[in-house]
Amino acid sequence: MLSLRADLHIHSVLSPCGGLEMSPKAIIQRLKYFGIQWMAITDHNSMQNCPAYEMVAKNEGLYYSWGVEIQSIEEIHLLAYFDDSSSAKEFDSELYNSLLPINNDVDFWGDQVIIDENENILRVEQRALINSSQWDLNTVAEKVQAYNGLVVPAHIDAGVNSIISQLGFMPSEPELKLFGITAMLDIKSWLTEHPDFEDKVFLRASDAHYLNDIGKGYSIITVAEATVQELILAAKGVSGRKIEV
Amino acid sequence: MINLSDYVTAIKGINCTSALSLEGVKITGAYVCDMLSDVMGSAKPGQVWITIMKHLNIIAVASMTGIPAIIFAKGNEPDTAVIEKAIEEGIILISSKLPTFELAGKLYKLLNP
Repeated sequence: MLSLRADLHIHSVLSPCGGLEMSPKAIIQRLKYFGIQWMAITDHNSMQNCPAYEMVAKNEGLYYSWGVEIQSIEEIHLLAYFDDSSSAKEFDSELYNSLLPINNDVDFWGDQVIIDENENILRVEQRALINSSQWDLNTVAEKVQAYNGLVVPAHIDAGVNSIISQLGFMPSEPELKLFGITAMLDIKSWLTEHPDFEDKVFLRASDAHYLNDIGKGYSIITVAEATVQELILAAKGVSGRKIEV
Repeated sequence: MINLSDYVTAIKGINCTSALSLEGVKITGAYVCDMLSDVMGSAKPGQVWITIMKHLNIIAVASMTGIPAIIFAKGNEPDTAVIEKAIEEGIILISSKLPTFELAGKLYKLLNP
């Protein structure tokens, strides 16, 4: 078993609300400084920067998982992770086609830049990524599962765009195993107000939009290898696997 | 306080929960919001709830806050599972083609003639 420090919710230069300082080298240097060994880039509604960041991460000896932060029609933010990059790409194109057809306003939202591993700009995404998919929560869960991915509701303790802020409380469907929490959450006091989450498993991450955010929140994940399938087993606590926040 | 049936006529609403009658249902006002956590904290019993949110959880939220009817704006219609749950809980679901602003405005006028 490996016990890995993991930050599985980080934004790249593709996220318009993030800083252009979020280059692969700069992010990975900062992750290494904090001893974080497993990362995922989870941009809003797009995985187009995963190839570049994955290549740099692997060259620098970090584990990398393909991820995305989807915004459902209810404006819930949901993280999705995939082991197989070709399934992830197919999912990504389905997701892209489900986005409301609104163009990005660069002056208002910021740039959406797709880069290669050497930080050359390949293209600029024109469609607004801070925007909802037309998929509702259940559809997101079904689609991610169809591509063998894992859905994790993002920052459930946040006042906006969390499954609780949008839906009031956890619906019984879809059945979810793992729940994202914000970097600084005091989980004990939060649980006193949300006792229905007592038996749930949490994933803490930085949700970094700027370099300074990195290192503020991570999880320690014990798995046989750094894969999404292992993360699913860790969420279920199978054979000594676990997630500590 | 006005009759729900008068309001539904004014907004040309369709009762999606035809098993439930509008007869005798009185309303005091409306709460307008698409975030269920906010509705849970702020809506008052006797108010209708004007929204475009169609997730199943709306029925539980309406039930726990004492909302007699949910009004869906812009022609939104809930799916069968939501309608069935609403009938079970006695929450009337109305769909209207009008946008939220007009739905609220028409109700305000009826309440304050």
